[in-house]
Amino acid sequence: MALSIASLSARKNMWPWLLLAPLAIYMAVFFLVPLADVAVMSVTEPRPTLANYERVLTTALYQRVFVNTFATAAIVTICCLIVGYPLAYLMANSKPRTAMLILLLVTMSFWTSFLVRTYAWMVLLGNNGPLIWLLRAIGMEQPPQLLFTRFSSTLAMVHILAPYMVMNIYSVMKKIDPTLIRSAESLGARGLSLFRHVYLPLTAPGIANGSVLVFVICLGFYVTPVLLGSPREQMIAGLIGNQIDEFLAFGMGSAMAMVLLFVTLVILTIYHRRFGLDKLWG
Amino acid sequence: MNRFMRWLGIAVVVFIAAPLVIVVPMSFSEARSLQFPPPGYWLGYYRAYFTDVSWLVPTWNSILIASATTVLTMALVVPATFALVRHRFRGKSIADLMMLMPLAVPHIVMAVGYYSYFGDLGIVHTHLGVILAHTCLSVPIAFLVLSANLKGFDRTLERAAQSLGASPTRTFIHVTLPILRPGLVISALFAFIQSFDETVVAIFISGRGAETLPRKMFDSIRQEADPVIAVISTLLFAAVLIGLTAPLLLSRWRGRRARIGTG
Amino acid sequence: MSTYLQLSGISKIYGQFTALEAVDLDIKKGEFVTFLGPSGSGKTTTLMIIAGFETASSGAVNVAGKSLFGLAPHERNIGIVFQNYGLFPHKTAAQNVYFPLQMRGWDKAKGLKRAEEMLDLVGLKGFGHRHPKELSGGQQQRVALARALVFEPSLLLLDEPLGALDKNLREQMQIEIKRIQRALGVTTIFVTHDQTEAMSMSDRIVVFEKGRVQQVATPLELYHKPETRFVAGFIGESNLIEATITDAAAGEAGNTALGTVEYARTDKVASGAAVTLMIRPEHIKLSRNPVDGRKNVRMKVETIVNYGDNALVIGKVGEQPMRVRVLGADVVIIREGEECCISWTRDSVYVIAN
Repeated sequence: MALSIASLSARKNMWPWLLLAPLAIYMAVFFLVPLADVAVMSVTEPRPTLANYERVLTTALYQRVFVNTFATAAIVTICCLIVGYPLAYLMANSKPRTAMLILLLVTMSFWTSFLVRTYAWMVLLGNNGPLIWLLRAIGMEQPPQLLFTRFSSTLAMVHILAPYMVMNIYSVMKKIDPTLIRSAESLGARGLSLFRHVYLPLTAPGIANGSVLVFVICLGFYVTPVLLGSPREQMIAGLIGNQIDEFLAFGMGSAMAMVLLFVTLVILTIYHRRFGLDKLWG
Repeated sequence: MNRFMRWLGIAVVVFIAAPLVIVVPMSFSEARSLQFPPPGYWLGYYRAYFTDVSWLVPTWNSILIASATTVLTMALVVPATFALVRHRFRGKSIADLMMLMPLAVPHIVMAVGYYSYFGDLGIVHTHLGVILAHTCLSVPIAFLVLSANLKGFDRTLERAAQSLGASPTRTFIHVTLPILRPGLVISALFAFIQSFDETVVAIFISGRGAETLPRKMFDSIRQEADPVIAVISTLLFAAVLIGLTAPLLLSRWRGRRARIGTG
Repeated sequence: MSTYLQLSGISKIYGQFTALEAVDLDIKKGEFVTFLGPSGSGKTTTLMIIAGFETASSGAVNVAGKSLFGLAPHERNIGIVFQNYGLFPHKTAAQNVYFPLQMRGWDKAKGLKRAEEMLDLVGLKGFGHRHPKELSGGQQQRVALARALVFEPSLLLLDEPLGALDKNLREQMQIEIKRIQRALGVTTIFVTHDQTEAMSMSDRIVVFEKGRVQQVATPLELYHKPETRFVAGFIGESNLIEATITDAAAGEAGNTALGTVEYARTDKVASGAAVTLMIRPEHIKLSRNPVDGRKNVRMKVETIVNYGDNALVIGKVGEQPMRVRVLGADVVIIREGEECCISWTRDSVYVIAN
């Protein structure tokens, strides 16, 4: 009897590995290998060397791109917070009908592809578009160029990434027990102090979640800066694309890609240590 | 709720909504290029889209690739999800994290990798290449949705089925799968949308016959800002709208019918 | 009647923790047996071992002489009603009840007809087309019962099925379950932690505590002749008094807060043995003065809880706490804080060996 029970449990322990195997093998071959390829190329193209990294990290031009990318990501994150927090608050505290409509709007924006939304901003900010038309209508003679600037790129990215921020903060806000707020009010907290001491700390996890997500996505953003941004103020993803597309400089492109990956992973690891990564995509 | 918050909220709502709304009238515009306000309205560009092979082929490619990606993704993810949600084994927490890895890697990095690797394999600019790449990118989201569903599954139901005479296999077919079906559908849907909309990797490895719709749109925006893009944007936007509101309306309609039936 | 369900030496060990130890049971065909005990006492584990969802670390389970060892749950032909009913949400009530027949290869038309008959038996005629979410808790219960019985199982197991129902509904369902069980004659095991429920429904009760069977007996036997201290305390109310047998022949015990106490004569203890004496509160009489022919002691009254028709008087004899149940009318003679006299006859004193 003891023998059969042991063999039964041995067979049971094989089962999860069998179920996991197809996916694990697939990811190893079609995810890890290409990634490794990038790492390898960064030190072997055009010949075995660390020169790529040296150039990437020391050339003034590239350094400017890194700084620009970081700065833009930071700005976008802050703007998403400014835009997203009030919206999440509105969603969490309006009448159910209103809240549902706003949720629908945010969800729609979320599910509309980056490309379509980028294009929509091109339409909006174009020289013959509604915004310029509006500016002319209120009397501005020579409206400034809106498109293909840092402004247009940043603005579009804020719009595209705001739903991530809103969803994160909203999900945290929804879970806040209203009796908590009421008891704080009964103890004397009002308005700004209520917000600062009670509401803000309670929503902090949502803010942290949303900010990390937005920042990390923005760092690696390709489509919007390339289509809408100023060609003189590139972000790193566009730079990498250039290296591969135009110059066929796989070594340089890979080195840049590895730097981007490294920074992204560092940020995510710090976040994971503090909060746990599974919460990010909840 | 104070006035300030309300006005701020309205401003933000306008900010979010405006770009989405603006493409719709532009798609009906008569103008050759983007012009506001549109000089006139017609369906010409809609007709152009539905008759232009150079747009229809990428559309079909995207549908094909997204469908194949969905099938492959689900085939890999469903068993893996069962393994990770229902079993305890060494290395499980690492495996859990590994499932989400593609979400942590910027698509541009993957694009470089796929361009080189699939180039070596000779499958760049093929349907297969894009499908293989997109599957990797769809795995995390499919897994997240399915595992959430599976975690909420009441296992007493499976015990009940077994006590009533259903073998583990029959339990899976008659009880587990039907109850899991909504989760499977949503998981597959997310995988499909992820693949259909995916742009960055597609820019690098799709093309020349295996061009996806996002790739064609990207090239087109860069080169000439074809008004047909407004048409496609509107259609995609409408698809999202229908996709989001249809289930709600459907359940409400079904609820009303049930009430009338039992009344 | 011979044994129908037999458990021999069942034990279950999880690493360091022993969930069950040396469980032996003989249950006759058609009996309604309750597994009674507090949470974690092992009653549900035993049930799950019978059902096949847990494997015993040692011991055997036999039904009608045949061992169940090696049989998967779906091969055991045992009907189970789970705590949260386990109804399939994607099937109607009739389809739920038809399911076990479907698994046994029944023709669909015949099967659904039989399902409807079963639903009729449990009082849900015409409800077959409803989905579980359209049914109340009590109705879901009945569907679960119908589903577990439709295939004429060898055993019916119920795992605390009435916990989620309110008091009135629970009492209703207790009667219903008994009625159906009697009508079908199916051997039934009912798991609960509610002793009133166990007392009212069972032919016999198995009392579990910390993984061991404390006693197996009819409800009245358990009440009047508990074999362990735990059973005495768990079933009904009791006064438990530690004592040492001073004279077994005369039936006297000493070394108690109440002085020397005579107990109902029995052969089961010898002089010098340490025992627990049990006196049920309703067997104690309350008076101002000692009563002839009874053992009398003085008690300081601490609390009186008056239920109208009866009252509970809680007090202390020295350091020994005592509880007395009296008729509502009799309690007027004393007040909280006062001293009074309590008395009983020796036949009310039951000896439990330690």
